[in-house]
Amino acid sequence: MAIIEVAHLTKVYGQQVACRDICLSVEEGQIFGFLGPNGAGKSTLVKILVGLVYPTAGEAKVVGYAPQDIRGRRQIGFLPENFRLHGWLKGEELVAFHARLAGLDGRTARRRAYEVLELVGLAGEGRKLVANYSKGMQQRLGLAAALVGDPRVVFLDEPTSALDPLGRREVREILLTLRAAGKTVFLNSHLLSEVEQVCDRVAIINRGTVVADGRPEELQAGPATVAIRLGALTGELAAELRRRYPDLQLEGDRLSLALGSREEVAELVARLVAGGCRIYEVTPGHNSLEDIFVHLVKEGELLCG
Amino acid sequence: MWLIALFTFREAWRKKVVLLAGVLTLAFLILYGTGLHFTLGDRVYPSDPAAADFFEMMEAITLFSMGIYLAGFLVAGLAILAAVGSIAGEIENGTLYPLAARPLSRRALLLGKYFGLAAMLVTYAALFFLALSGLIYWQTGLVIPGLAPALALFILKPLVLLSITMMGTTWLPTLGNGVLAFGLYALAVAGGMMEQIGVLMGSTAAVYSGVITSFILPADAVYRMLVATVVHRLPIGNGQDMPFFNPQMILGPFGSQSTPSDWMLVYTLAYIVILLAVAVRTFKLRDI
Repeated sequence: MAIIEVAHLTKVYGQQVACRDICLSVEEGQIFGFLGPNGAGKSTLVKILVGLVYPTAGEAKVVGYAPQDIRGRRQIGFLPENFRLHGWLKGEELVAFHARLAGLDGRTARRRAYEVLELVGLAGEGRKLVANYSKGMQQRLGLAAALVGDPRVVFLDEPTSALDPLGRREVREILLTLRAAGKTVFLNSHLLSEVEQVCDRVAIINRGTVVADGRPEELQAGPATVAIRLGALTGELAAELRRRYPDLQLEGDRLSLALGSREEVAELVARLVAGGCRIYEVTPGHNSLEDIFVHLVKEGELLCG
Repeated sequence: MWLIALFTFREAWRKKVVLLAGVLTLAFLILYGTGLHFTLGDRVYPSDPAAADFFEMMEAITLFSMGIYLAGFLVAGLAILAAVGSIAGEIENGTLYPLAARPLSRRALLLGKYFGLAAMLVTYAALFFLALSGLIYWQTGLVIPGLAPALALFILKPLVLLSITMMGTTWLPTLGNGVLAFGLYALAVAGGMMEQIGVLMGSTAAVYSGVITSFILPADAVYRMLVATVVHRLPIGNGQDMPFFNPQMILGPFGSQSTPSDWMLVYTLAYIVILLAVAVRTFKLRDI
């Protein structure tokens, strides 16, 4: 069941298009990664989905409700990018206050505040004033505030930007725990390796337009590279391969080239063997999410000038 | 809404806004009380006992009006500064995002902030007013006539300023809103003063200009209503048994020669409600 649905959503600020005709669907229980370069429109889309920004055109539904609908908001948690927390409160007071706003009674709110503070690694820090928290601690506290209402959907906009590697790993573990509990996580992040490790689905946005959307392995199944160490390659076969793969490079006994997909590797090896080559080593290139991301963003830049 | 109101009230308290205002107010009261003591110590009254009583009372009322007039500046300043960035400022520094995404309507968020700040201002203004009245009683023995309605009017002034500042913060950046609120307040004060001088000098144009500024921001008009409320309840005088000594005239620019009608009170209340309605609508429609 789709818990987040976005249909032909467009947001224009003056002359600038922040989001253009975006269509997305996120299934319940998934960790959904939303990637894009700075200024691509990621945060704008999240702000639309949590009801902070109105779309210029199109429609969005979260948990079956329009983003401004209070009934839907009861079931979401949100950690914004570039947020600040009220420094005059103690950590546990702030989280308990968010719990009250999420609809919990005073006693349950306090209990739940302790639970989420422990979850984000701030147990024992709750009695400190937020103003005295480090940037990383504030980010953890923001995450605790987002989770305190036990939401069905959590929107996290760059949740690990201020964390050290250990903190990032802890957040990844929290995300996996949330998924195990059946929660949906909408994750905006610049950290591609992080997204690659935890996300069930990924969409890439560039210049306000979604340019790729699918499971990470689907996206990674696209264009691939391969390096082959071989012997007895004839000039005739090399010429044939150059015609077929224009970016082929041959240095000594090493051949490297780009393929349409990883499935073509076997076909290439078969052709080489049939042509009399001896194959010593075949190394398929790892098509990381970063490669795909960089490729799509550069492609977009070339198209748009 | 009440959670936000309580949160806002606690914020003002914890950020030491009330404490700082309290310290300044205490300094003001000490200065005012000292001035009051020495001014009254130097008094010389006419030999006629009725005239002496009248002048003694009017001296106390004049000093009270001056005190209230000046106290009004402190209360107005606190009202504007407390609310000037309550929406725009929180958007600018990023504290509003987590709150605004909660299951809470924009109306509840804005009105919660209004009522939280209003509770703080009403408490502060009431204590300030009662302290001034107490000083007058201590030094002169005069219980301010119409104490309760005068107190209500004194409280109304920061609420008027709070409503216009809250409206401004829904669409203007913090600095711009501060300029607007203080600018309008200065206009209202200058217009009110001009109106009183206009009556004394017989200038209809000056009186009308004061009336117009009262419609733009009825802050000074509320003060004039307060003075009129006190003077109309004076036990003696009231300009009837001593026609040559109209009490309002004795009060000079701090008096209310041109007293706003009761409709101005209705207008002021409607003004607050309408401004808040506009603020709610503007906030509801804007992107955060």
